[in-house]
Amino acid sequence: MDKPKIADELSKMEYEPLLAVEKQLIVWSIVSGLLLAVLLAWVSRSFLAT
Amino acid sequence: MPNSASAPASPPATARRLNEDWLSVAIGLLIFLLSLGLFFGADLLGWVVTTAVWTNPGGALGCVSKAYAGWNRLFYLAATYVFLLVVMAAGARLLRLDVKRFLRGFTAVFFVSYLAWFMGSWAYIAATPDKRGAFGIGWSMSLTPEAGFIIALILGLLIGNFLPKTAAAMQEGIRPELYIKTAIVILGGFLGVTAAEQLKLATAMMFQGICAILVAYLVFWAVVYFVARKYFKFSREWAAPLASGISICGVSAAIATGSAIRARPIVPVMVSSLVVIFAVVELMLLPFAAQAFLSHQPMVAGAWMGLAVKTDGAAVASGAITEALIRAKALSEGVHYQAGWIMGVSATVKVFIDAFIGVWAFLLAWIWSAKIEHREGDRVRAREIWERFPKFIFGYMATFLAVFAICFYSPSLVAKTKAAMGEANVLRSIFFVMTFFSIGVVSNFRKLWEEGIGRLALVYVLCLFGFIIWVGLGISWLFFHGIRPPLA
Repeated sequence: MDKPKIADELSKMEYEPLLAVEKQLIVWSIVSGLLLAVLLAWVSRSFLAT
Repeated sequence: MPNSASAPASPPATARRLNEDWLSVAIGLLIFLLSLGLFFGADLLGWVVTTAVWTNPGGALGCVSKAYAGWNRLFYLAATYVFLLVVMAAGARLLRLDVKRFLRGFTAVFFVSYLAWFMGSWAYIAATPDKRGAFGIGWSMSLTPEAGFIIALILGLLIGNFLPKTAAAMQEGIRPELYIKTAIVILGGFLGVTAAEQLKLATAMMFQGICAILVAYLVFWAVVYFVARKYFKFSREWAAPLASGISICGVSAAIATGSAIRARPIVPVMVSSLVVIFAVVELMLLPFAAQAFLSHQPMVAGAWMGLAVKTDGAAVASGAITEALIRAKALSEGVHYQAGWIMGVSATVKVFIDAFIGVWAFLLAWIWSAKIEHREGDRVRAREIWERFPKFIFGYMATFLAVFAICFYSPSLVAKTKAAMGEANVLRSIFFVMTFFSIGVVSNFRKLWEEGIGRLALVYVLCLFGFIIWVGLGISWLFFHGIRPPLA
């Protein structure tokens, strides 16, 4: 059997609307990433200055 | 990482038999232990071949230890080849490969890679400005011998893209993942000495490495997933492995995510093909950008390579080139940074990223099964974190901690440990250069183009060059700016 090509597989892809739970996942992930960035940068500057 | 850009289905982490991951630990530890023979008066690796920067090719080859000086120069190369051949043949047998085909492939990989290393050590390419006088030359490219890595990559790309029959003949020996993981295990010992001498800096580097990757995981993944879903209308099955592939650690993350969300195996395999190709593009561009714009922030540059360049091989390799380029530039300004720190921060960041892949895949599996695509009776097992954990990290940690403990608790042994790690490090460089060559061979741009990568490549390029690289730079800057390697 022929190996499937990327283009063929992509063309078969069906549209799936973005669910509310996915939006939550995205927002929570970005917000916690940014908050962690601020917190950890403060911790490293305050306690681990080289 | 797989061994082919077009067929990356490496054995799953759950495979019961030995895989490349464990094999790299075994080979790395063997070399590490042999190097420790110096503690007992046995110089077991002193004959390993080294290549000095040369203007006269006849005098370039040598050996790493004075104890073996004076022998025929080609003997060192032959001895190194035979040693690696025997070790790798045993490994190939344990992996249940076709040993004959592997040895043929490995032999080609070894000699082409070493040729590249040799060419890269030509004084007109490698000599830094302060050394030109000693070589009697008026100019040089100042690329240091690490230019050999770039030459190996180019030779690999030429073979992979224009000589498909040659590439196929050496296919069994083209194992970038095995070579880089073995190199990383050996690197652990080298960094252990460095860390013991600069404990405060090493602690800060590790802590900041963890901080950087935590932030990167959370921000990178979510943004790429959103872009793929919202603007490129990718289905969840495609968007999640794609987000992990672009944002975390390339192939391993794409495969782990695909499995976590129960995507068809074909999806992460196709995403992986793209990851390998673009990692090469990054490898060719980012170290030079780092030299141009970050030479006064060397640790930022190193962390940036670890965060932005996908796949273990390309990331650590980029760290090695970045270190060579930045140290050469600093040297021309009269600043002589200690070796190992810039590449060390790239490797540390990458190793931490790898260590978290299992946790990330576990989280995604739980979110998918509980919230997004709820399936009755589908339980997520914590054991999967262990199954997806890259085992070569144990080797890296073992050599790092062993050497660190020796140097920390017995300062009188530092000189001997340095010499031992110096010998192992020469073999690490050989594994590195074989990694570069192998990455080049597996990066078949032409084949991927024929596959019709279109929309997949577009989202990859947009996210990687429009977002990941710059945010990765921002995160590296946030945690590493102002930190400099110690002076030599």
